Amino acid sequence: MTRRTLFFLGIPGLAGCSGRRRLRLNVFNWSNYIADDTLPRFETETGIRVRYAIYESNEEMLARVLTGNSGWDIVFPSHYYIQPMRDLGLLQRLDLARLPNVKHFDTMFQAPPWDARHEWSLPYMWGGCGIAYSPNVQPEPRRWRDLWDPRWKGKVTMLDDPNEVFGAALKMLGASVNSTSEAELRSAQQLALQQKPLLQAYLNAEVRDQLVAGDVWAAQMWGTIAQQAIDAAPHLNFCYPEEGFSLYADNAAILKESRRAELAHQFLDYLLRPQVNADVVKAVRSATANRSARELLPPALANLETLYPHEETLKRGEWFAPLPAATLRLRDRLWTEIKASG
Amino acid sequence: MRRGLALYAVAAYAFLHLPLAILVLFSFNSARFTVWEGLSLRWYTAAFSNTQLAEATLNSLIIGVVATASATVIGTLAAYGLWKRDLKWLTGSLALTLVTPEIVMGISLLVFFQWIFRFLHVQLGLHTVILAHISFSIAYVMIVVLARLRGFDATLEEAAMDLGATEWQAFRRVTLPLLVPGIAAAALLAFTTSFDDYVITSLVAGVNSETLPMVLYAIARRGANPMVNAISALIVTGLGVLIAVSERIGRLKPALRSG
Amino acid sequence: MERLRRLFLAPAVLVVVLLFLAPLTVVLAYSFLTRGAYGGVGLPWTAESWARLADPLYLGILGRSFVVAAISTVICLLMGFPLALFIARSGERKNLWLSLVMLPFWTSFLVRTYAWMFLLRDTGLFNTILLALGIIHQPLPLLYNYPAVIVGLVYGYLPFMVLPLYASLERQDPVLLEAAEDLGARPWQSAWRVTVPLAVPGIRAGAILVFIPCLGAYLTPDLLGGGKTILVGTLIQNQFTNSRDWPFGAAISLLLMGLVMALLMVLVRKRKEVL
Repeated sequence: MTRRTLFFLGIPGLAGCSGRRRLRLNVFNWSNYIADDTLPRFETETGIRVRYAIYESNEEMLARVLTGNSGWDIVFPSHYYIQPMRDLGLLQRLDLARLPNVKHFDTMFQAPPWDARHEWSLPYMWGGCGIAYSPNVQPEPRRWRDLWDPRWKGKVTMLDDPNEVFGAALKMLGASVNSTSEAELRSAQQLALQQKPLLQAYLNAEVRDQLVAGDVWAAQMWGTIAQQAIDAAPHLNFCYPEEGFSLYADNAAILKESRRAELAHQFLDYLLRPQVNADVVKAVRSATANRSARELLPPALANLETLYPHEETLKRGEWFAPLPAATLRLRDRLWTEIKASG
Repeated sequence: MRRGLALYAVAAYAFLHLPLAILVLFSFNSARFTVWEGLSLRWYTAAFSNTQLAEATLNSLIIGVVATASATVIGTLAAYGLWKRDLKWLTGSLALTLVTPEIVMGISLLVFFQWIFRFLHVQLGLHTVILAHISFSIAYVMIVVLARLRGFDATLEEAAMDLGATEWQAFRRVTLPLLVPGIAAAALLAFTTSFDDYVITSLVAGVNSETLPMVLYAIARRGANPMVNAISALIVTGLGVLIAVSERIGRLKPALRSG
Repeated sequence: MERLRRLFLAPAVLVVVLLFLAPLTVVLAYSFLTRGAYGGVGLPWTAESWARLADPLYLGILGRSFVVAAISTVICLLMGFPLALFIARSGERKNLWLSLVMLPFWTSFLVRTYAWMFLLRDTGLFNTILLALGIIHQPLPLLYNYPAVIVGLVYGYLPFMVLPLYASLERQDPVLLEAAEDLGARPWQSAWRVTVPLAVPGIRAGAILVFIPCLGAYLTPDLLGGGKTILVGTLIQNQFTNSRDWPFGAAISLLLMGLVMALLMVLVRKRKEVL
């Protein structure tokens, strides 16, 4: 019977053997970040079969690739994970000679602060965090403070993400979203604790459905998801709060463990192609880091305020930064206390 | 009393099946979000044309069948052996597998596999998922079969051996047939647990071993997607047919034996 | 007898040692190591993670998890016993009724949980009906709280109660009930005084099979609790992802397991056999 088990275990192994002759690439990306035809077109063009899986958080991705033996070739960390992943020896240097399409980057991303020479990562999509709301909320929310209004008790959600919740609270206090000050963080926690009884829940992307249905009237939400909700229900609206807001950029990177660097570069260059990138944006409604792709988009999509805040608004935005270990531990403890209260 | 029980059973089955019925109902909803708009089959078309889903389903079935078969055999044999004479540390360990939270089992297996695989040049894949599933299913099988053995009359086997049977024959010809309903229930439980598992599977799955729960979770996580409803409806129907068929076969067997 | 028994036990021993005890030893080792800044573990050896367990914040979460699991188990027992009894006495159609219990569980639990979210939401079925009937004027907050989590857990684990109960009840000799009837007992009396006590091994097995997963559950509480609740399963899961504190996660897990093992051992000492 143990023999039988071993026999059955052998079958998937045999199946795997035959597949190894074909060119393969394993890509690990955020959910909802490519168009339906992105991969098939790449496969037809290059003969490389792409195995594609998705994750919902940087931490989830990191937990899998940390061991250096995950089997993935390409991942898409958010910008504030690039330096830590580099320090952990998880990333492979990029060969810019094989990536002619890097010339298409928007000015904002030609020399990003987290990787000025694109040695390790290529900006892909970016966005900011604000408030999505329905016309039920009058007057229209303009500040994070408005989400603390007791009139909307039970109709408001915040993101289930300590970075974003603390980010909003810190902005209300006039501090940086990357604050390492214990005093500021504790004050931010106090704000969050005051808000919790008023909240319906801490929800991420799934709240889009609830906004559309009317269960939720105001939600802390990323611009991309908010735009998707607005597309489905045009009466909804979105704003970047006056106190300030957080910015993120998701980047493509090649894992050090990958032995398919050649194929990986091909795929990355393909993603940088303006037409390909534009098709993704049309499907997904995210803000792209690719200037040429943006030019290919219909003006209605290319200039959406939700995705591309005006310069004045953008000044209020602040990029997340990697934080020291002690701050991470403190934030985590404070977040657990928030969750455990009430 | 019988009527009372039957009435209660109706209510209980309603509780169990109502959420499912609603799920199926909304799989025919033409709108994407949960506001009813009209009848449509678009989600079924989407589900059928989704290759990732097809691959994941196949994976889930392979894993389920292999892991269940192995776990049922191993677990039944173990239950029998333990019934004859207890082996404290084994019973304790198997109890421990039930006690261990899924996330802990998943993480411990993941770390263990990663460590071993460094020497073997193997990666996570279908095989690691199967091993993981066997690992957590055995205890379920053992508990159910052992519970049944406890109410069993040990003298039956003794009688058989007095009449000249070897212990293996006594087991195979006397105890085993009587255990079949219990084993069947245990196998059902093991398969369900395996097919349904998300936590442990997602941790030890590799690049090419996505299972149905993993794909469903990924789709559902992005917001309500009626394709999930359609898939569930298909699964339930498919299994309903299977179960009805096995029920029919189950009724044939005694007839065959007496005839 | 010994040879056959050894042979029968061998595969289980192999699986348990290689796929359970060895990995758990690794977890134990992890609990005494130091956390890496971004996950993983490293030297030096330290008992810091264990010391943190005494913090009332974490003990409170553990306590709450026990309560939620206990309530769910009791409800499962109360709901499951009559159902198992019905199936055990349903004669030829036993397998059909049993399968109908299992049927919901062949869909993804995630999907089933989403179904409950749909039912319990502010614009969900229950609230819509109640509003339409004029019984309430504002939607009731049925979702994203502990009762919703309990409903989800009960729904998820009811078959784990029904199956062992059924296995135990099915084995009972109907002669005993006939004897009780002959002695003048009415159906409810014989159910209470004969059937239930004899089903205790099944009850115990079912209670264990429900209580334990409910204790360590994290997906159901996470989805139905709306992120406003935190039970021990979520806490552990967080340590391995968001909080990146693997040693602490290892320590909590082992504490949890230890507590439940202690519970099981108490049960074993009271009776000769629990499994």
